[in-house]
Order: sequence, then structure tokens, then C-alpha cells
Amino acid sequence: MSRKSYWMIVTAAILCLAMAMVGCSPEEEAGVLKIGNVGPLTGGAANYGINVLRGIEVAVDEANASGELGDLTLKVYSEDTGGDWSKAANAFSKLIDVDKVDVIIGGVLSSESEAGGPIAKDAAIPTISPSSTSAGLTLDNPYLFRNCLSDEAQIEQMAEYAVNELGLGRFAILYTNNDYGVSLKDSFEAKAKELAKVVAIEGFMDGDENFKPQLTKIKQSNPDCLYIGGYYTEGAKIAQQAREMDLNVQILGADGLCNVALIEIGEEAVEGTYATSGFYPDDPTPAVQNFVTAYKEKHGEDPDMFAAQAYDAARIVINAIKTSGPSSEEIREGIAATWNFPGITGNTSIDEEGDTIKDVLILKVENGKFVRVR
Amino acid sequence: MFVQQLMNGVILGSTYALIALGYTMVYGIIELINFAHGEIYMFGAFVGLLLVTVLDIPFFLAFLLAMALGSLLGVTVEYLAYRPLRRSSRLSALISAIGASFFLSNLALLIMGSQPFSFPNPFEAKIYHTPLFIISRVEITVLLSSLILMIALTFFVQRTKIGKAMRATAQDKDTASLMGINIDRIITITFAVGSALGAAAGVMVGIYFRTVTPTMGFMPGLKGFVAAVLGGIGNIPGAMLGGILLGIAEVMGAAYISSQYRDAVAFALLIIILLFKPAGLLGRPAQEKV
Repeated sequence: MSRKSYWMIVTAAILCLAMAMVGCSPEEEAGVLKIGNVGPLTGGAANYGINVLRGIEVAVDEANASGELGDLTLKVYSEDTGGDWSKAANAFSKLIDVDKVDVIIGGVLSSESEAGGPIAKDAAIPTISPSSTSAGLTLDNPYLFRNCLSDEAQIEQMAEYAVNELGLGRFAILYTNNDYGVSLKDSFEAKAKELAKVVAIEGFMDGDENFKPQLTKIKQSNPDCLYIGGYYTEGAKIAQQAREMDLNVQILGADGLCNVALIEIGEEAVEGTYATSGFYPDDPTPAVQNFVTAYKEKHGEDPDMFAAQAYDAARIVINAIKTSGPSSEEIREGIAATWNFPGITGNTSIDEEGDTIKDVLILKVENGKFVRVR
Repeated sequence: MFVQQLMNGVILGSTYALIALGYTMVYGIIELINFAHGEIYMFGAFVGLLLVTVLDIPFFLAFLLAMALGSLLGVTVEYLAYRPLRRSSRLSALISAIGASFFLSNLALLIMGSQPFSFPNPFEAKIYHTPLFIISRVEITVLLSSLILMIALTFFVQRTKIGKAMRATAQDKDTASLMGINIDRIITITFAVGSALGAAAGVMVGIYFRTVTPTMGFMPGLKGFVAAVLGGIGNIPGAMLGGILLGIAEVMGAAYISSQYRDAVAFALLIIILLFKPAGLLGRPAQEKV
């Protein structure tokens, strides 16, 4: 075989291979817009990832069924990280390079978004996280957005509401001594000190039943408000024991209190309690009820906050496609321009850093039920 | 504030005392630490809850029925888990007790689930103000019922014939049986009475803290045991004293040192007292029987 014909065969082979690769590449399906999803579908944080994916699926099904995007059909490509940030980087790369997604909803955990954000930025693929709350995540990355409030922002809004709307000024804090309770205490204390006065801070242990020693001390400091940094079982008992001691102050709390068991155990003692929440499934507004019904029908259980935030993130993407256009760059511009979007987790705007501006929901116990007051 | 905290401590301590009595009575008779006692307490709380909520039985009657069923469970545990091991080493009986404890709490978890149940308040919420402290109607009820039960127990042990037989058995089993005392029967009665008190404590804590869970017996069971040791295990007035002291120590620890060191303060007290009085506050130094 001559040298010349050898090279011709090699070139032909390479050409064939290249054409075959183009042919089998999934890129060329007409009228399909690909949404990638990165999250933990296995491992300890699997619940978060699964619920996020389910929330996205509900939004995508809804958009495909209603035909609101014209001929465009949405398709979800999901990658499991197992909760491991190093796998998150690979998941982002695979979605972008192999599946050729147009937009990514994820990661779920903050570490996943931190690992994947730079990859999405290099590839110019817009990415919106439904749930990564770490501080400063979206800074210096025009392709990374999020649709959730940081923990601090939620608690600070409660403190602002207490001072400005409820006219409270002497705060006592009673918190459970674990990660959750301590972070609530720290954030609430900082904001409450800035706006008014913190007169007492007491802690308790997980699973405690007797809060009278702490409440007796708190009562001495004559507060007008008790902030409970903890979960509903202890919250209900604290409320009861406070009433038994004639400590009749306004009770506030965070999403840990938002469970019907708070009212079942606490009964009349928790009446009038305010608590912040990311999502309120009993909200009677049609948008929320439609989502809850559709979610239950598809997945057989009630949606949680993660599912609701993921649904809203997907709706923000769909809205961006409608208002701006279907290419990745147009979607990025559309997401960045989101302003006062009526989500089921509250009205949502995206600021110039790609972070969320959202009013945290505030629920109040009224006549033995949680009602949304803001 | 000091008097208020003292009251808080006495009320909490009176429930510990009731649990401690069950430990101490059983230990006094057969030298067994009945680790299933905390589960009897949990069982009592659940029986009380179910009678009040499902069958709508008046609270006082439910309280007595819970005590009766609690003592039945205590006797059953003794019959199935301890009696066959009466002649084997004390360690075997102790392991059996731990097994019974796990079995009962897991059985409750299986039947009732892990979520907390809310105990309805049988009394209207009323608060009484005194110059030094505030006390609620529930607290008065808990305090008074514990007092009545403790007085009744003291009367039972000191003044009745069965009580005398119990004291004789505790002193020397073999001699007591030579005197015509049916040891097995006395042991059964001891378990019945101790378990009834444990179940009573369960119902009272149920109305006091308003929640009942399958795992509620663990910590109070441990605290009751500590109270019994503090007062001198096997000694009935000691268990009452130990319970009240432990309650006060816990509350004072939380009030004046730090609420996070509450248990640490209470258990440090236990260690210090036992260093100086190894047999407990009212216990007599053990004498080896020859």
C-alpha cells in the first residue's frame, strides 16, 4: 500500500468517525430544550436532591402539557452526586459536554454549587440553584443564580418584622443547643441587638421536657417577646410552661416550629405564635394549591420546601425562556432580569449579584391553624 | 426567684422520687436493678393517654387504671424475665433487665410510632399567685399525688402485715422463708407496688409535660435510678429524698450555673455525695452476710 493511499484511508476513517459522533450526539433533537439537574439522589442528603428533582419535574410536566412554550419541549437530564462535591464537578461537566444542556437547575447542596459554578461559568451555561444557602455563592459569577434565602436573611426578616410590625423591643432567646438552634440564636441575637434589646439568652438540650428553670430566669428579665430557636415538640412545651408560669409574651420562631404537631401538642398555649417558613403548603392561593395537588398526584406525597423552591426555580427558567429566548445566553439574561416573579415560595426577584430578593413567609397560629400573614 | 426555682425543683424531683421508689423497692428485695422500670413508666403514660383520649374515661379513674395495668406489666416482666434467672448470677438477671427494657420500648415504637402524642390537659389551666412563687393547678396535682402516694407507701411498708413481710424478706430471704413467708409472693407484690408507682409517675409526667413518646422512659428511668442510689439504694425514704434532691440540683444547676450543664451539675452532685457516703445519703454500709 502506498503511503498516499494509507493517509487517505486514515483521513476517511477519521471523517467517518467524526460524522458518526455528530450523528449519535444527542444535541440535534429539534424543538427540545434541555434542563440539567445536579443533586444528591443517593446518600445522606438524598431526600433534598430527590425532592428538588421532583419539584422540577412537576414544573416541566406542567409547561409541556400547557404548551406555553409553543413548539419547544422541555427535557430534564439529572446527575446524581451522592452528596459528594467532587462528583458534583464531574456532573456539571457531563451535563454540559455530553448531554449539552441549555440550562442547569442545581446544585442542591452549597458545596455542589460551589464546585459546579466555575464550570458553568466557563461554558457559559446559566445555572440556578434552588437551595444552596452559603454566603456569597453567586458573587463574581454572572452565570450562577439562586432561588433561596440564606438562613441569616430569613431570621433577620423575623427580627425586623417583630420590631417594625409587632412593636416588640425586649427579646428573650431560648434555643436548642445544636447546629440549627445555635445558628438561629446567633443570627437572631445579632439582628435583634441592632434593632432593639436582647434581655436574656438561655439554652436547652435536644429532647428536654422541663424548661421551667430557664423560663423562670427569662421572666426575671421582663421580656416582651420570646424567640424559640428550636423544633416544634420543644417549642410547644416551652409555650405551655411559659403560660403556666404566667409568662404571657409574644412567641416567635423559625421553620422548625412550622409543623401541625406544634398546635396538636401546644393547643391554646401556642395561639398567636409567629414563625418564618420557606414554603407553606396550606396556603389557599391557587398557584400553591395547584402545585401541591400536581405534586401529590405525580409523587404520592406532600411537597416540602426543597420541592417548592425547585419548582419556583424551574418556573423562573421557563419564564426566562418566554420573556427572553431559548438560547443559553438569552436564558441567562432572562433569569438575571427576574423581578417580582410570583412564586409559590413568595415574590422573587434576582439582584445584580444573582442572589435572591424574597420576603420570607411569616406564618401565625390562629384558631388552631397556621395562616400566612406575610 | 430562688423560691420559685426551689418549687420547680421540688415538683420535678417528686416525679423522680416516684420512679426511684420502684427501683429501690425491687433492689431492696432481690438486689436487682430493674432497668425495665423506665419502660413501665412509659407504659403507664400511654395507658393513661389511651384511656383518657380513646375511651374517654374520667382522668382520676384513668390514673388508677394506669397504675393497675402498670403493676400487671411489672409482675409479668418479673415472671417472664427475672424469675427463671432467680438462681443464676446477678449479672444474668441484670442483662435480662436491660433486654426487657429494650424489648418494651421497641415494642411501643412498633405499635405507636415515633411521633410524640399530646396528652390532653384534664384540668382547666389555672395559675395561683403567692407572694413568693407562682404555681399552676397541674403542678399542685403532681405534687399532692406524689405526696399522697409516698405517704401511702410508707404506711403500707411500715404498718401492714405484707409490709412487714417485705421488710423481713429484704433483710434475710432465707430466714424469712423459714418463718413461713412466701418469698415468691412477696417479690410479686413488690414488683406490683413499685410498678404501680412508676406508672403513676408516667401519667403525672404526661399531664405535666403534655407529651408521651415510646422513648420517654429512658432518661427519667436513668434519673430515677440515680435518685435511688443517691438516697441509698434499697432504702425507701432515701429514694424520696434522693429524688427531690436530684430535682432541685438539676433546676438550680440550670438556673445559677448554666442550663447546658444541667445534667452535668446533677451528676457531679451524685459523684460527690457517693465519694463521701458510698452507701448513699440514708443507706447503711453494706455488710457481707456470712
